[in-house]
Amino acid sequence: MCPFANLFLGVRAHVKPERYTVKLKNVAAVGTLALVTAIALSSCSSPSSTPAPSKTPAVDLSSLTGTLTSGGSSAQANAQAAWTSAFTAQATGVTINYDKSQGSGGGVTNWLSGSYDFAGTDSSLKPDQVTSAETTCGAGGGIDLPVYLSGVAIIFNLPGVTKLNLDSATIAKIFSKKITTWNDPAIVALNSGVTLPAEKITPVVRSDGSGTTANFTTYLSDTQPSLWTYPVSTAWPVTGESAQQGGSGVVSTVAAGKGTIGYADQSSVGTAAKAAIQLGTTGTTFVEYSATGATKAFVDAATTTPTSAKGDLSQTIAYAKITSSGAYPIPLLSYDVICSTFKDAAQAKLAKAYIGFIETATGQAVAAKNAGSAPLPAAILADAQTSLKLVK
Amino acid sequence: MTAPSSTRSSVPRGPIVNSLKSGQLPRFIEGITLGVVLLVSAGVFALIGFSIVGWLVVSAIVYLLAIGIMSSLVENRRKATDRVIRGLVTVAFLLALIPLVSTLLTVIIRGIGVVNWQFITTTTSHVFNPTTLTVTTTTGALQAIVGTLIITGIAALISIPIGILTAIYLVEYALPTQWMARTVTFLVDVMTGIPSIVAGLFAFSLFSLLFGPKAFSGFSAAVALSVLMIPIVVRSSEEMLKLVSMELREASYALGVSKFLTITKVVLPTAIAGLITGVMLAIARVVGETAPIFMAASFTDNFNANPFNGPMQTLPVMAYTGYKFPGNDIQASIDSAWGAALLLIILVVILNLIARIVARVFAPKGLR
Amino acid sequence: MSEPPASPSEPQGYNGAGQTTRTIATNGRPGASNGSARSGRAKSRPADRIFLGLSTGAAASIMVILAGVALFLIVQSIPAISADWHTSASLNSGPTANQASFWTYVAPLVWGTVFVSALALIMGTPVAIGIALFISHYAPRRVAGVLGYLVDLLAAVPSIVFGLWGILVIRPFLLPLETWLNHNLGWFPLFSGQASATGSTLFAGAVVLAVMILPIITSISREIFLQTPRLHEEAALALGATKWEMIKLSVFPYARSGVVSATLLGLGRALGETMAIALIVSPSLIFSLKILTDGENSQTVAANIALNFPISDTLQRQALIGTGLILFVISLAVNLVARVIVTRTSPGAKGRKAKRDIAQLPPSDPSTVLALDDASRSPVDFLERDGVSKS
Repeated sequence: MCPFANLFLGVRAHVKPERYTVKLKNVAAVGTLALVTAIALSSCSSPSSTPAPSKTPAVDLSSLTGTLTSGGSSAQANAQAAWTSAFTAQATGVTINYDKSQGSGGGVTNWLSGSYDFAGTDSSLKPDQVTSAETTCGAGGGIDLPVYLSGVAIIFNLPGVTKLNLDSATIAKIFSKKITTWNDPAIVALNSGVTLPAEKITPVVRSDGSGTTANFTTYLSDTQPSLWTYPVSTAWPVTGESAQQGGSGVVSTVAAGKGTIGYADQSSVGTAAKAAIQLGTTGTTFVEYSATGATKAFVDAATTTPTSAKGDLSQTIAYAKITSSGAYPIPLLSYDVICSTFKDAAQAKLAKAYIGFIETATGQAVAAKNAGSAPLPAAILADAQTSLKLVK
Repeated sequence: MTAPSSTRSSVPRGPIVNSLKSGQLPRFIEGITLGVVLLVSAGVFALIGFSIVGWLVVSAIVYLLAIGIMSSLVENRRKATDRVIRGLVTVAFLLALIPLVSTLLTVIIRGIGVVNWQFITTTTSHVFNPTTLTVTTTTGALQAIVGTLIITGIAALISIPIGILTAIYLVEYALPTQWMARTVTFLVDVMTGIPSIVAGLFAFSLFSLLFGPKAFSGFSAAVALSVLMIPIVVRSSEEMLKLVSMELREASYALGVSKFLTITKVVLPTAIAGLITGVMLAIARVVGETAPIFMAASFTDNFNANPFNGPMQTLPVMAYTGYKFPGNDIQASIDSAWGAALLLIILVVILNLIARIVARVFAPKGLR
Repeated sequence: MSEPPASPSEPQGYNGAGQTTRTIATNGRPGASNGSARSGRAKSRPADRIFLGLSTGAAASIMVILAGVALFLIVQSIPAISADWHTSASLNSGPTANQASFWTYVAPLVWGTVFVSALALIMGTPVAIGIALFISHYAPRRVAGVLGYLVDLLAAVPSIVFGLWGILVIRPFLLPLETWLNHNLGWFPLFSGQASATGSTLFAGAVVLAVMILPIITSISREIFLQTPRLHEEAALALGATKWEMIKLSVFPYARSGVVSATLLGLGRALGETMAIALIVSPSLIFSLKILTDGENSQTVAANIALNFPISDTLQRQALIGTGLILFVISLAVNLVARVIVTRTSPGAKGRKAKRDIAQLPPSDPSTVLALDDASRSPVDFLERDGVSKS
């Protein structure tokens, strides 16, 4: 009935005696293992129907005490807040601080210097970071675990227009200033039945370095390599456009302006009008963001391309491969990075319990409900649980 | 030009004698002209569509022209210039009031709906409902208020003694020609130019060097703020100590009072009002810092009153994160940002008022 | 030392003449032996020595702190400054991409910083001096104190609040003016280019910066204007000068160097301002004179650090800290220039001499009494700390 549970039980049966022989004294580790398994078990029952309350044995969680210090990506900040309150509702002795102001770079830098127990980042570790992670964490290095899935929304403000269809070529041309008016034939062709004014297009982009920008530029260069000749970058590569600080800056500027168009993490766009984006590079299917759409896109396009660290789950997203019906063309993925071997066993126990909770269907449902994210597919969650087991 | 002699030589060139004979505008002409101009331009703007800004700008220009022309016709060019400059200076002042009033009004209007007793006395709390999986967030500012007071308090405790003692050294002990005095004066000026984010990085690096990587603490943020605050305290205190009359010191020395007692019993009490004002301005300046707090104290929504362990939140950080990283309920986050901004301004005003009162209490009688 | 003791009947503890030029030897201890210029001539007491040590220590600690910060900046930025920007994978991505070297990266930032600060100074300084004059010479005495407090309150508004206010109020407020300037004066380089549709212009940033430096320039200028010797003013008025002529002839020459240093202090604040600029201006890494466009505004050093620091990896961060070092050097240079200007143009020595002259007038003269009254409140020239040596 639940293959993952069996898998976990199987693993547990194998690992448990080993643990006893190797780390006879470390009862705590076994406790955590049991806990992780329990969460995995409980998660199995929930994915489709309304998520049942977590059946996690309260004893295990409530026996945890300590503080997790973390930070990084602001994209997953709201999800982290939701996870933290859901987790600490049971693990009352645990305090989790997630510093969203640090950004992905700050998170990884602080984690590499040992300041953080885990870091949230919008891009998996780069080769040089993998190397320095080996100095920080020991030979095992650090591992990337996907935790947060969302999408980049294209928002616009055009009086009288509430629905807008765009394809990747048009988006690339608009954001590289090749299309400058709303009634450009390319846009009109995609939007039959919509009266587009002769208004000037004002693209609104991010002025600060951001994972959202990296995602968006990757999407453009993956799908339109000939049109989009700018580099893939965390910093917006085109000069001469209205650049605003933070996703909130983009959203509020788009809302305040006229004829504006911008991109932002869909969870932060609020009531702004979102464009529907063409699925693939041809055809007439236009998809608006939906959580299931993002999950479908992840299934379509993401492949695990691990770094040298064992258990690493870095993903490569090939945007051009997103073709399933209903899949949203611009998904956005965010990771948590942890050491494969913690310096401090107590912190390892806390981090494993916390991220173990995130990587369950329950955890994903909490984020979906409270942060507007899309749940990660079950397969990757199972992989993550396997990886977490390697963490000491 | 400064010496009285040069003043004397340059003034009589003009037609001074004539000015006594020339006509004079009636005494209240300025007020009357202003009123007439305001009314007339209001009438004109009522016809073409009213705009407060346009009305005020046009009125100001028309008034300056009118008073200048009238005065140069009836009086003379010198008096006309004088009246126009008087108008210009007043306009400059009113111009400066606009941003002040506008800022305060914006913050108060946006923040007043959020700030209430509950906002001030509770910590931001998240309640998780395990059945529906929803997290209900109630925003509170207690953790930020406490963090602000602790971090700024420690920064003040570090900066005020160092700052005032340095000022005493510069004014009372060192000769301005001495290398150390010159160096310190110069370095203090340079210190005012340290970008605040650099101060935060410096403090965090220093503390991770000393106490290991997990050095996030309110104390290290306070050190970062001190780096920013010390030069402001030194500069203002130095000026205030210099304003203390040399005769007072000399009188004290003449009575055989030691230097230490002269400084503590004569110089400092005389300058206390100015010193406190300067210190308060310095506090007001650093209490609104955001970047160094991020760098050195990280960020948290949790209550933490221990400055030596763990991240802390402050009001400016709360305002900034509320705006830049809104939660799921975007409007609520932005509201809480304005609430934090309003609390911050209230805090600064309270500090200023306390400073004024303290200054008045401690100032020796008869000096102010 | 050569002077005989003032009086044999004087108690042993008599402690010298403070800061007068006379030296009174009491116990033959050589002056300045303990590093202090003035306290060595008397028998030192423990409290004196401890206090001297404390204040010297405090002054020394400033050197230590600043040396620490400078060392930190240099050590942190050297890897990025010396790195090969063509081959480094890290420096070729993200915020530092497409740069030939550290210097080509920092140059437009320096330009932007100086440019926006200069704009803010041009807009802010005349208004600030106007306010200072209004408070010191035009407003009724009783009102002046309250007005001064109001302007000081402006100094206390945190920069994050100014940033939020700039986005919400100033941006839309200035938009019509910007469009008008662009349409009608577009031939002028500053106003050229594609007018902004969002209001995130360098002009809006400069206006907010100008507001932020107003109180700094005003409060210092006001103090200096108030210190103009009353005798100068009355002499001018007595000769029939109008109020403005009096100000031009007696107040401005006296206050000139003080106002210059106040302006430069304001410039220092403008150079380092981070959050307000980062929130309001829509920047690009370019050299640009345009102030009314959306994306062709030059970026400033401090805002660039704040915007890109979070996402940057280690080497990119070091590059950003390197730009911080450059900003540090700029503010050092500004201070040096300020010092030179103040000493060169300062009428300080002359002014002081004038004051001496006043003090030597017979005390029965009522205006001398007034001037002395003024002088006793502010006996030490405001400019003295700026390097004008005491006689």
